[in-house]
Parts: sequence; C-alpha cells; structure tokens
Amino acid sequence: MRSPLAPLYQASLWLAGLFMIALLATIILSILGRQFDFYIRGIDSYAGYFMAAASFLALAGTLAKGDHIRVTLVISRFTGKSRRGLELFCLILAIAISGAFAFYTVKMAWWSYKFNDISTANDATPLWIPQIGMALGTVIFCIAFIEEFVLVLRGKKLDGQSAEIAHTE
Amino acid sequence: MDQIVIAGFLIAALFVLFAAGLWIGLGLLACGWLAMALFTSRPVGDAMVTTIWGASSSWTLTALPMFIWMGEILFRTRLSEDMFRGLAPWMTRIPGRLLHTNVIGCTIFAAVSGSSAATCATIGKMTVPELRARNYPEDLVIGTLAGAGTLGLLIPPSLIMIVYGVATDVSISKLFIGGVIPGILLGGLFMGYIIVWSLLNPGKIPEPTERYTFKQKIYASRHLLPTVGLIVAVLGSIYTGIATATEAAGLGVVGALIVAGLQGSLNWKTFAESLLGATRLSCMIALILAGAAFLTLAMGFTGLPRHLADWIDKMDFSPGALIVVLMIFYIILGCFLDGISMVVLTMAIVLPMIERLGIDLVWFGIFIVLVVEMAQITPPVGFNLFVLQGMTGHQITYIAKTALPLFLLMCVAVALIYFVPGLVTWLPNQMIGNAIK
Repeated sequence: MRSPLAPLYQASLWLAGLFMIALLATIILSILGRQFDFYIRGIDSYAGYFMAAASFLALAGTLAKGDHIRVTLVISRFTGKSRRGLELFCLILAIAISGAFAFYTVKMAWWSYKFNDISTANDATPLWIPQIGMALGTVIFCIAFIEEFVLVLRGKKLDGQSAEIAHTE
Repeated sequence: MDQIVIAGFLIAALFVLFAAGLWIGLGLLACGWLAMALFTSRPVGDAMVTTIWGASSSWTLTALPMFIWMGEILFRTRLSEDMFRGLAPWMTRIPGRLLHTNVIGCTIFAAVSGSSAATCATIGKMTVPELRARNYPEDLVIGTLAGAGTLGLLIPPSLIMIVYGVATDVSISKLFIGGVIPGILLGGLFMGYIIVWSLLNPGKIPEPTERYTFKQKIYASRHLLPTVGLIVAVLGSIYTGIATATEAAGLGVVGALIVAGLQGSLNWKTFAESLLGATRLSCMIALILAGAAFLTLAMGFTGLPRHLADWIDKMDFSPGALIVVLMIFYIILGCFLDGISMVVLTMAIVLPMIERLGIDLVWFGIFIVLVVEMAQITPPVGFNLFVLQGMTGHQITYIAKTALPLFLLMCVAVALIYFVPGLVTWLPNQMIGNAIK
C-alpha cells in the first residue's frame, strides 16, 4: 500500500538536504574567513541553525525509509495479529510523543515571535525564524506517524527489518 | 530511598518501551517526560523543547553531519578497489598474506571514516570477493573484517567521539588525537593474531598467485594516494590546530567530493544519494541526541546521578574496580543497544562517578569507544554483524563466532590502556593547536 503523503516527506527531506549544503557552505566560509581575515558576525550560530533545520525537516523522510533506530529483537518474533497489535501500540505511543513534541515546538516558535526573542549570541537573529524549521519538521513527523497508523490499521504489510543498514556506528 | 524506587521504575519503563519496539529517540523523550512529571512541578513540554532546541543547534555538533556526509560520498567511490590494489602487493610475504588487507585497509579507511559499519562495508565490498576467489579460510576472512571494521570508531574521525565529546564537554579534537595510538595498537594486535594463526596452521593460507618486484609494489602504491591525501587534510589540520573538528569535517566533505570527481564516480545520482543518505543518518542520530538531551536534564532533577556518585564515594570503590564493572555493564548493554544510544543513555549517570574518582575524561572517552567497538560485534544486536550478514549471507551467530578472537584482543587493548594510560593521553598533550575544541 503506497503512502499518499510520501511526496510531502520527500520534499521535506530535500529541503533538509539543502540545509546540509548550506551548513557545508557556512563552515567553508568560516575557514576562508580565518585564512583571509574577514569575519562574518555570528557565523557559528548560523551553522547551528542550518543543522537544526536539516535534522528536524528530515525526520519524516527518515521514518519513511525505516532509518530511525528501534529494537526489533522482540517484535520481529511476533507474526500476524499480535505483531499488528504491537505495531499499532508503538504507533499510538509515537503519535502521542511526537504530537506533544510538535505542539510545544510550535508554541516555542510562536512565543519567540510574540515576545521578539533575540539570540543571545552575536548573530542577534530573531529566534522564531530558525525555529520555523524545527516546528515544521516536528509537525510533519507527527503527521507521518498518524498516516502510518491509518495504513497499518487498513492492513499494510509489515516487513521484518529495514533493508539498508545504517552506516552510522 | 524513594528516589531510587522511582528511578528503578523509570529504567524499567525505558526497557519495556525499547523492547516493545518504540523508536529509541522517542522512548528517551517519553522517559524524560515521565521523570520530569514525577519529580518537578515545572512545565514539562516547554523545558523539553527549549533543551532540545539548544542541543540541536550547537556549533560543536555540526561536525557530525559533515563527517557522515564525507563517509557517504567515499562509500560511493572506487576508493576500496584502489585500496586493495595498493595494499595487496605488499602483503604477499607476511604470514597470513592478503588477510592483512582487511586489517590494514580498515585501519587506513578508518582515518577518513567516522563509522565502524561504513568502514566494514566499504573495505569488505572489495576484500571479501577477492579473498574468497583466492580460497582464503572463510572464518578468518569474515572474522578479521568484522573486528578490524570496528577501528572506524577508534581511529579519528569518529562519530561516537563527537557524541561523547558533546555530551561531556570534552574537546573533540583531543579525543580524536587520543584515539590514534590505541587504534594503531589494536590494528597491530589484529595483525599479530593473523600472523600467529597462519604460523600455527601452515598450509591453510593459499600461496600467492601474483609476484611483484619492488618497483611494481611502489608503483601500485599510487592507488593509496587519494586516501592518504584526505587523511593528511583532515587529521593534519586538526592536529596542527589549523582547523577545529567541524572545519576539518567540512574540508573532508570537499576533499571527498574532489576525490570522487577525479575518479569519475561523481555524478548527479551519486551526489544526491550521498546527500540524502547523509541527511537521513544525521537525522536519525539527531533524534536520539534530542531525546538524550532531554532525558539528561530530567535525570538531573531526579538526583539519581548525584546519589550514585555519593554512593560510589562511600563505598570507597577504586577506579580499577569501577572500570571493570562498567566494562561488563557496557558489554551486556551492547548486546542489545547500538553504541550511540548506549553512550548518551548512560552518560548522565556515569559521568559524575567518573569525575568523582578523578579519572581523565579523554582517557575515559577512549575506553568507552573501545567498549562500544566490542558492542559492534556482539550478538544479537551488532551493526558490523548486520553489515556482514547482508554482505556474505552467513548467520549472525556464525559471524560473531569468527570474530570472537578479535573481541578478546579488544579486551587486551582495554587492559593495556588501563595499565599504560599514556597510550591515550600522551599524544593529545603534544598538540600544538590553539583551535582545540
């Protein structure tokens, strides 16, 4: 069963990829700056914002690819109805947690905007701007869990393990 | 004492959530939420997101996605073939012959890669088919690859060192340089094992099929140049203090793109794949780190870390005894959890004890990395085992058995750095840099 919202996750993932490129560019600029004696105010902070945007905007796309780590040792031993039940249980928890996460992130960004919260580092960025990325990413993440829940409920096939092994360790 | 009971409840909750298959990062968030709701009257949700925002947008952490990206680019180049062609001619005379390409290949590649699974996959992609075609004993081919792949963590750059450094506020540059000597030492132990095994089992190692003159060997070594160039750019710039770990990672990505471009393996498809692959893997780690940052905050409110440290103080534990206990604890934990989750999950509790006993934090970081390396090859959950299972089609239990001797050698390495701490601490203290951090 195809996920109808997949293009949304893919678009968000690509946006995250663009922020990765922006992060690289920022780092290179900061090296060049030291070699050739120019200084861009608050460049460290911008790198941090780009990384945060990349991390959170990629959440849903990473989930769709099955790249978020979970312990499948126990649940992979179950099959049929009980497996489906366990999966739904996990998804309900995930919706609750990611929902709270998204709610409070949006609230944080909104309050930063309302009270005009400015970064204390020397970039002096109004914080709501970079926080939009985090808010958007966490909301899409929650939507992805809700969609997955609906799909599993309607009989989506469950596979044992993700096909590709993460190269992170 | 009430606190201990509730802390026990939290650990049990975490265990149940993980076992049920909840995503690790979300499990950490849930557990932190429980802890804070139980112990404080502060607004939990707001504290959670501000902590996570702070942790996720820190400059120090930006080295992580960059090193991941570098590894993803190199994985899609022909670097592993080059490495094999450059190394193989030199190995024909050493007992064990081409088996050493596994160990030396992993040791060298580890110096441009931050991850053990990536090192294992990149080197194995080339050595496994080549060694099988020449009839090398299968269990040694697999075992040495599984073991040597873990050097990806110990030899800088290293993702797990970045995670540890950020969690403990230890200089990442110092950790990186501290891993160099133990890494080479461990590689040496692995090679020694292959040599001893080959001498004890004469005839098991096939005769060399090719002969090389010295000139040919030197000429073949040109294939190693791109890798060596990258190592010099990344580690050299950190060691001499020209660049911070993050900047070295940025240089590494550019260097990897140049190497891929010169080899002709860089096109839109590989670029997009490496970029999105790196974005997803960074995101996966970022979610775990976000959960851990919040859990650490919540743990602080429970007072558990402080109580444990007090208790260690009262019990008059010696550092040696604590290290042995922690090693056993981490090996068991490593059977079920991945390395990064393991480190971020335990650091809040373990760190106060370590500081109380006056153990050097750079040294302890290297110790943790060694123990996490062991976790990579212990069943049922070990990332190198998964990689090799996908690559060779063997059962996890078989692969773990072939890697057992190397697991024991890692225990030897831990003992060595324990009795001779200078192996870790000497080199970082020689650093010239002022860009440390």
